[in-house]
Amino acid sequence: MLKIAAYHSPTTLIEAAALLAEDGRTAIAGGTDLLVNPRYMVGVREVVDIRRLGLNYIRVENGWLYIGAGATMRTVAQRVELQGLANGILARGAAVCGSPNIRNMATLAGNIASALPSADTPPALLALDAEVVLVGMRGERVVPLDSFFVGPAKSVRERDLIRELRIPLAGSNALRGGFYKIGRTAEDISMVNAAATLKIQDGKISMARLVLGAVAPVPLRVSRAEEALVGQAATEETFQRVAEIVRDEVRPITDHRATAEYRRRISAVATVRALRQAAGLATPGEEWQHA
Amino acid sequence: MPEVDIALTVNGRAVKWHVEAGETLLEALHAHHLKGTKLICGTGDCCGCGVLLNGNSINACCMLAAQAEGGDLLTIEGLAQEGKLHPIQEAFAQEGAAQCGYCTPGFIMRACAFLQEHPHPNETEVRAALAGNICRCTGYVKPVAAVLRAAEMMHE
Repeated sequence: MLKIAAYHSPTTLIEAAALLAEDGRTAIAGGTDLLVNPRYMVGVREVVDIRRLGLNYIRVENGWLYIGAGATMRTVAQRVELQGLANGILARGAAVCGSPNIRNMATLAGNIASALPSADTPPALLALDAEVVLVGMRGERVVPLDSFFVGPAKSVRERDLIRELRIPLAGSNALRGGFYKIGRTAEDISMVNAAATLKIQDGKISMARLVLGAVAPVPLRVSRAEEALVGQAATEETFQRVAEIVRDEVRPITDHRATAEYRRRISAVATVRALRQAAGLATPGEEWQHA
Repeated sequence: MPEVDIALTVNGRAVKWHVEAGETLLEALHAHHLKGTKLICGTGDCCGCGVLLNGNSINACCMLAAQAEGGDLLTIEGLAQEGKLHPIQEAFAQEGAAQCGYCTPGFIMRACAFLQEHPHPNETEVRAALAGNICRCTGYVKPVAAVLRAAEMMHE
């Protein structure tokens, strides 16, 4: 039972934005974080359901892939457009988010709105240069996901509603990706996860993104590692060297899932495994098969 | 507590429910005397409160009842037809796939959604499908056997 004074179910974005502009209100979609984690209900007296706004879409348009705020993790995991993008890293992240019942309710946008450093989809989204399209009373604004997260459960969203996430598709045919999650089981919250994308020309890396989850207050893009990858041969040796940089750059905490020291060590492991997939040195998983 | 009126279909019957704004779907089921769906963890971690909403298996503990407006809901009470157990229930009974039995409705509803989409599953697929369902008596072998048996029974 949520202690709330009202449940709103708007049918237009304008209505939803106006409702959310008031004090003490929050958006609800799948509800799988909101109903079980009291931190999201602090100061909240009314909820605004955003599932009747027609935002369930995943579509490709003008060189962008758009994922509406209503799209569930299961939909994201099962869509061929996403399974075919950079070795399917986003579909794979969505496929290991919680249990089947959770994936039927939880949305990708909700995973971003919750802004937890251990979430399974932000690393892949960041490695794909995703952007967040926000709608509020002052209109629409687009925020690169890279500057969206501020801290655990904190983002720049404020009272705005996430309308959709978008991923640039220009040049994405040449993009190769890797994703590796380390947890007790695939259903568990990650102890560490890693996503990478690479472009490789004549055996040399021309572009690199490397992002780790659950190792810092926000999903962490490891710029120093990305810089160290560019211009190098896509080999095991390079990746082992980069893993050492990652081990230095992460700022993990100790909690009931893992100690900081253990997280530091497995950060290097997850990094190498994700990079191997991106370079074709290991076979990427097809986690969506069981999503 | 402010209330919300919702109209939905529950186990094939159109109903109109008066629910509290913050009430979970699970609480609303219990308030309407549908107590077969169990509250276990209450935090979305165990799938013990699994029901089918529009054919998808979901956890009734982490969804507001108000959000079920217009939905087609199937609970464990809706499986048996005219006093005859559903093949999945029958298979769970035949395999002895319950210990204390508290998590069993959640397992069966999850299996129900899964078998609709995968009528000919192998063991690996069944294990993956049930991976979110937690049994604290730790009985995990027989539910897998039961779901495989149910798949066979449903083709006979």
